[in-house]
Amino acid sequence: MAMTITAPKRRSKSAETKRYGFFPGCVAKESCTELFNSTLLLADKLGIELIELTAASCCGASVLNDVNRDVARVLNARTYAQAEALGLDDVITICSTCTGHMRAANKELLENESQMEQANSILGKFGASYKGSVSVRHLLWLLIDDIGLDRLKSMVVNPLNGLKVAPFYGCHIIRPESVNGWESSRNPHSLEDLIEALGGEAIDYAGKTRCCGFHIQLEKDGVATNMVGQNMRIAKDLGAEAVLTPCPLCHLALDGYQADSAARWGRTDLPTFHLPQLVALALGVDATQLGMKRHVISPGPILQAHDLAPMHVA
Amino acid sequence: MAAHGENVLMAKFTLDLFRYDEKVDDVPHRDRVEIDFPETSTVLDALEYAKAEVDGTISFRRSCRSAICGSCSMNINGVTGLACKTPINTVMRDDRSVKVDPMPNFEVMKDMVVHMDPFWDKYSRLKPYLQPADRDEDHERERRVSPEDMKKLVAVANCVMCATCYALCPVISVDPSFAGPAAIAYAYRFIEDVRDSKRKERVGQISDDYLWLCAHCYACSYCPKHVEPQDDIIALKRISIEEGFTGAGPRHALVVSKTIRQSGMLNENEVIVGTVGKFNFKGLLKIMPLGLRMAAKGKVPPLFLKPVENVNEIRMIYDALEVPVG
Repeated sequence: MAMTITAPKRRSKSAETKRYGFFPGCVAKESCTELFNSTLLLADKLGIELIELTAASCCGASVLNDVNRDVARVLNARTYAQAEALGLDDVITICSTCTGHMRAANKELLENESQMEQANSILGKFGASYKGSVSVRHLLWLLIDDIGLDRLKSMVVNPLNGLKVAPFYGCHIIRPESVNGWESSRNPHSLEDLIEALGGEAIDYAGKTRCCGFHIQLEKDGVATNMVGQNMRIAKDLGAEAVLTPCPLCHLALDGYQADSAARWGRTDLPTFHLPQLVALALGVDATQLGMKRHVISPGPILQAHDLAPMHVA
Repeated sequence: MAAHGENVLMAKFTLDLFRYDEKVDDVPHRDRVEIDFPETSTVLDALEYAKAEVDGTISFRRSCRSAICGSCSMNINGVTGLACKTPINTVMRDDRSVKVDPMPNFEVMKDMVVHMDPFWDKYSRLKPYLQPADRDEDHERERRVSPEDMKKLVAVANCVMCATCYALCPVISVDPSFAGPAAIAYAYRFIEDVRDSKRKERVGQISDDYLWLCAHCYACSYCPKHVEPQDDIIALKRISIEEGFTGAGPRHALVVSKTIRQSGMLNENEVIVGTVGKFNFKGLLKIMPLGLRMAAKGKVPPLFLKPVENVNEIRMIYDALEVPVG
């Protein structure tokens, strides 16, 4: 009897792969390229497609509001118009400050007709328009809402082996709650949940929702340094071996300033991971690809101690 | 079935209280006070009950019990806010306790009572009263404000000076020279009041009191009276630039603005040099160690930034809005 064997029908890659607009932000393209690269490696591992919005501008970085009340909103409207033109409703960010300020701009545009009109009348000068269909979400939210902690847990091939990780959220991904509101800004736990799902131990501490001081590091000597030292001291005293942050600005401050804060707060030397670095590492991405040699405080020793990667990767 | 008159809402729980008397104690300790009290009431009610029925020495400030006097701000389970506005059942911990501490960022006088002087000092420095141009000539004249002009001041008018924002401010926690959110909101309140005549002096004063040291953390967005001081701080920074205040803060904002206009991106290298000041060798020398630490790891932003696609559109946006650049 003749038997016909039909291979299971394979869907085309584009039908399987979820596509997202991707807004890397300035710092991930400048001093923290390790964040940009590890985000793409993680996306690949997760089977999602991040389509970079290559014409997008800076989100305004919270500073542009200090010179003009409208410009950041209109610049972001231009970015959303690009996403819409590409058929993308989701704009994924990898920076707390980008998240907060892009969401704030979007909220204003969607809630205030005159501001939407103002933006579109300017965008119209170069043939663009924003209809209001975009939602801005951080990679952290994508990981939890779209991939899911259970699926992430099942994908872990290099569990964190109890590595004690202190989360550091970065103000603008949680505050103001009226703008973000994805989780409680007083007591968020998404990073803790993620750390546990990857096989680490999350350290809950008062500093996790506090400010790293990045935005005022050049304003007055020692202020940002002390804000870093104060928070890292608490984390260290509770047993943290490393810090995880979804924000490259926090990363620059925490990684860069712990050496300076030692004079007042004692040595903390907590290596700081960008969110996608630690997730990618647990999901089995080659550790040498994650750019950890670019960190001021090397995570090498703790990676080796927990059998996660050899010392030389960082 | 509950007997007639029995309050079914009564619940046993523990107040976990910070105790310290600056006149007697070297170090603070904690008292656990068990009470049987309706948990639908407020934390302030529970404290009043504990003081009346269990231990009369428990100290805290209170007056109106309805979130209008601003006396009872304290730290409840790590969150600072008004005790009279915090229902017990919203903060009850799993072990049926409520932890009460004094506001952070203040010296403690006794238990939950703190020395408010730094907060009031910063407020007094503002000369927090109207100074109309013709104040001396005409006390009696009515000075009218249009509803449109009044709109800007309404949110600040709700401030009850409870100092919650000051207690939450991470900058104050490491550098008490910062004016703090409430004082800046009040400065804004007088600067934007059309009846006032001291705009320039006031802007200069608050700029000198480190207006620009605000770290944009939005911790003051937890204001129990929804004053949203963070919005006033941003508005005041714009006014500070308009009024010609110079310093690292305005330089920073303007150079960020300039680099975004140039390339669409915030150019990290240019922003650092532009903020510190191109010819401020002492300042540049100070940031050298960090720069070297980063450079040693290859963490150097690119010297030449490729502009984003269609960067001319960004310039059109800037021109349409007449955005200042450094």
